Amino acid sequence: MLEAAFVFDYRGSVLFWHLPSARSSGALPDSRDLWDVLWENREWLGGVAHTHPWSGRSGPSGTDLTTFAACEKGLGKRLLWPIVTFDHVAIYQWHGSNKHDYRALPEELAGLLFDKEDIERLRDLSRGRMEKEND
Amino acid sequence: MTDEIMVMPEGMARLNITIEGMNGDVPDFISYDLSDGEIKTIASESVESGYVPGIEGVTDADFTDFVVDRFPATAGVAFNRLVLRPKTPFGTTLL
Repeated sequence: MLEAAFVFDYRGSVLFWHLPSARSSGALPDSRDLWDVLWENREWLGGVAHTHPWSGRSGPSGTDLTTFAACEKGLGKRLLWPIVTFDHVAIYQWHGSNKHDYRALPEELAGLLFDKEDIERLRDLSRGRMEKEND
Repeated sequence: MTDEIMVMPEGMARLNITIEGMNGDVPDFISYDLSDGEIKTIASESVESGYVPGIEGVTDADFTDFVVDRFPATAGVAFNRLVLRPKTPFGTTLL
């Protein structure tokens, strides 16, 4: 199992598959390349989805929360931060009481925002079944 | 009219900052060997005082969860660069 991520635009369409060589079952490392993608696409950026490679519901880690807040501080805009497990998708968004207060949006939103094939592809990339190149 | 050529002293660097959707270089050169913490302090003070061209109106320049990328001078870029940007790791260690 390996964590994986994709960057998406405000319509939920995938802009970039983030599969760094140093990814593991427990982490995606800091990446200058990922930041460059976020910055270059900031005008139409929607957020970053990443996996927690297991089944069941999952919330953001401490590392996740500080990354969410730092990226939004850098970009000057709020984003959506889906966490994808093998059977759930929870989309987190800043809620407003302090800088690390992110809460899950209603679960049905994921089905409206994303193409099911993209979510399944992300899960497959976390299972190590495929390695997709960015176009 | 003459063109002024700026020469960077040895061991110094240009600091680039990104915050609140804006990006700019601190006008003064700083030491390339400063610690990340020292660089963040300089960045906060420079941004909050409105000293960085291209970055305006930021009163809370908190760079706690930012990282410093260090790019030494090369044949193509004749000066050292320090780039302060948000960190981007994700992890599954739950709070």
